Amino acid sequence: MLGYILVICIIVFLISSLYSYFNTGADRSKILHTELQKETIYTPTISWKKDGNEGRKISEQTLNEIENDYLNAWYVQHIAYKTNTKTGIDDYFTKNARKNIFAFIDENKKEKTTIESTTLQHNLDLLFFSEDGQLAVLEDKNVLEYKQVFKNDQLILETTENSDYKFILLLEDGFWRIRHKIKQSSKPYNFTPIPINVDSLNIKGINYYPQKTPWDMFGNSFEIETITNDFKIIKNSGLNSVRIFVPYEDFGKATVNDNKLNKLKLVLDSAEKEGLKVVLTLFDFYGNYDVLDWTLTYKHATTIVSTFKNHPAILAWDLKNEPNLDFDSRGKETVIAWLENLIILIKSVDENHPITIGWSNIESATILKDKVDFVSFHYYEDLKDFEKSYQSLKNNIPNKPLVLQEFGVSSYSGFWKPFGLSEKQQASFHQEIQKVLTKNKISFMSWTLYDFEEVPKEVVGKLPWRSNPQKSFGFISSEGIKKPAFKHITH
Amino acid sequence: MSLSRKFLMLLIYVLSVTFCAQNIKINAQNFTLLTSEKVFEAGSEIVLSFATSTNLKPQLYCSNSYGNTLVTPDLKNKTLTYSIPEFITKKRGIVFWKLITEKEEISGNFEITPLTKTNTLETYLGPPSIEAGGTDFTMLVVIPTDSLDNPLPENTEIIAKHQFLSDEIQEKIITENLLAFKNIFSPKKDGRMIISSSSSTLNSKEFDVNIMPAIATNFEIFVNRNHEYADGNQISTFSTSIIKDKNNNIISDGSFVYFYITNSKNAVLKTSGTTINGVAKAKIIHPDHEDTWQVKAYFLGISESNVITVNYKKAVQDFSIAFSKDNRTLKIGPIKSFMNQRIPDGLQVKLTIYKDKKIIKTIVKDPNNGFVNFSLDKNIYPNDVYDLEISTAGIVKTFKAKKLW
Repeated sequence: MLGYILVICIIVFLISSLYSYFNTGADRSKILHTELQKETIYTPTISWKKDGNEGRKISEQTLNEIENDYLNAWYVQHIAYKTNTKTGIDDYFTKNARKNIFAFIDENKKEKTTIESTTLQHNLDLLFFSEDGQLAVLEDKNVLEYKQVFKNDQLILETTENSDYKFILLLEDGFWRIRHKIKQSSKPYNFTPIPINVDSLNIKGINYYPQKTPWDMFGNSFEIETITNDFKIIKNSGLNSVRIFVPYEDFGKATVNDNKLNKLKLVLDSAEKEGLKVVLTLFDFYGNYDVLDWTLTYKHATTIVSTFKNHPAILAWDLKNEPNLDFDSRGKETVIAWLENLIILIKSVDENHPITIGWSNIESATILKDKVDFVSFHYYEDLKDFEKSYQSLKNNIPNKPLVLQEFGVSSYSGFWKPFGLSEKQQASFHQEIQKVLTKNKISFMSWTLYDFEEVPKEVVGKLPWRSNPQKSFGFISSEGIKKPAFKHITH
Repeated sequence: MSLSRKFLMLLIYVLSVTFCAQNIKINAQNFTLLTSEKVFEAGSEIVLSFATSTNLKPQLYCSNSYGNTLVTPDLKNKTLTYSIPEFITKKRGIVFWKLITEKEEISGNFEITPLTKTNTLETYLGPPSIEAGGTDFTMLVVIPTDSLDNPLPENTEIIAKHQFLSDEIQEKIITENLLAFKNIFSPKKDGRMIISSSSSTLNSKEFDVNIMPAIATNFEIFVNRNHEYADGNQISTFSTSIIKDKNNNIISDGSFVYFYITNSKNAVLKTSGTTINGVAKAKIIHPDHEDTWQVKAYFLGISESNVITVNYKKAVQDFSIAFSKDNRTLKIGPIKSFMNQRIPDGLQVKLTIYKDKKIIKTIVKDPNNGFVNFSLDKNIYPNDVYDLEISTAGIVKTFKAKKLW
């Protein structure tokens, strides 16, 4: 009986699939390739040299179409070399051009070579556009190509090249396809950032989240009045700066949400009014680092930095919160390369504000020390080792200011951590560390203003013995009462 | 002062030379590039050799226009040789390479130039049809490539040729930005132009461009009709003169002409036609009453004709009406046309019935064999006094206070 039902089901399924197969045909809208279903997947920095071209005058719309298809061509090429598959190449390279790529893919597949690559910068110039609008010659100068070469899944080479290309593109089936691609020049790319003088750096600050909305500062419950009040408290306590985090996904990834930017502007305006400087952490809750994801993150960073680079409240750009925690899962080389290229990018957008990276421990703080303008690290280890560790770091990096960007202890003592510290002990921790900070003239930013009631699982995970202590690092309790530690918020 | 400066310069020079020499020496300990050539012709065999003091066989990373790959060396007599794969050596452009060693960074690049012999003239021509008159043009684009599908270098000479009627023109063009192009302007006459290109050794295939006539200039119109009576039955045909563009080319077949007719009551009638051999024809039925038409034709927004006046004479002079005894049946006819022939079926005859100066009914009928009958039903029109009005072919007859019983 059951078998009978099963057979009937299968037959019905087959007939219905057949029916639906014959009822789905070429959609008229698809014939003309006019659909607009596009997700932002690839956003390197693009600039057009608009100095006219030979042949027909081009419209803005056609230029955009060429730009889109041209970038897609790069994107499918990256995918092809990453996976050694040929998907998508047909759409963006003509029949003769794609043979050249397929030859590489066949060879690399045979030799188990894969290449993860991306381009970070394109400087385009349209040289020629034919009268019938079917053919274009494009020049792309100073293309910044970052590549990781893997052999048998082992990373054996990281390289950044600066190359010039010329292209002939043909309009075929609604796609601008590459017919010829010619590398005109290529050289290794080395970047030495121009250091920004930060000798006068004197940060006495605090990491800030509003009490009610920790780790969700720019969400729906955003209230500028609350933040302004908190800034008043911070200023009155004798501090001069705050550290604020930009959550990557919440801000809309590559296409940064204007609404969020406006909220951030309100916060910066308020900080300025209260006389506080802001260290803005550009990436929080980001952990992908995939080479093909880079351009999206860079677009995000460019948008934020270029929007606020002239804001008087900005003290420094902190690239990423604790990136060294992602070394194990995402590959140390990849994370560092991501940071390094991010520095290059931000320096190209804003020459005036210093750059730092919020390393989660003192051991990682030497990474990229020559590329950042000041070095930031977090310290949650034993207080008595702090001064020694700091001194050894200082010996390692004698010529750049060091900032203790996060530190603090939890006053949680309860079921999940029965031998935790009391509020009094928390106060004495801050009293002690302030002595060391004063003695060594160390810039600092403590963690954090308030105790929190909820800590999202993305921060320290779901385990209660982790999340509960995380709630009580504040100088002010969740009821708004100043804890004993508040007296030692600064020296 | 200047002497000491010279000394200083010399010192710096000596120092830097020794420094460089030392640098080379350090390199020499491991890998030194032996291949000195920096430029290769596409398709030739390319081997990079390095002298080495070790037994290491590092991979060579190569990146050309289209992609990246790794090359594995052969080690013989302390010399590493890297044979660059064919798919790289045959493509024009810069090849960037890097030796993947642990310590030092050895990198460089070489150039692959295209072959000098043209193998294909990839030719594009567009738009495929242009307007005669010398203002419009088509563009010939030629991408000369070698046998390995590389575009030839800058300043390669191409000859662009085109023929039109008795003219055969050749012109030299040179490649710039990978291609050569030429704008070919249209001649004054319409027709077909043959275009091709050639290099020193090779000829492209033939391309043609349609030289279409330009837009129409003003023209004249005429009317042609069987007779000039307004019988509501015959058809008048309007036609144009042979419409030409400014260069005397007959405009393209199928060009659309509108004829606007304004009658004596200033109402506008419209008919249209498309041109064949420059002449457009449009038809319209005669009016059924005496009228005077002003006719003018247009290519909308392009050109227009003169105005012609067309008169239509009265076809029906008069008609008789016979009432039945009770006045409820009206027999109209015979309605006779210009030669006293009975009019063809189809003319409208309208009976309007008024009561107390208000229209209560309008009945329209076609004559059959020259006659029309109207019957006024007792149930619809009760016995009373009515005004009746009969009109056809522009003639109106009124009967006041007709009593139906």
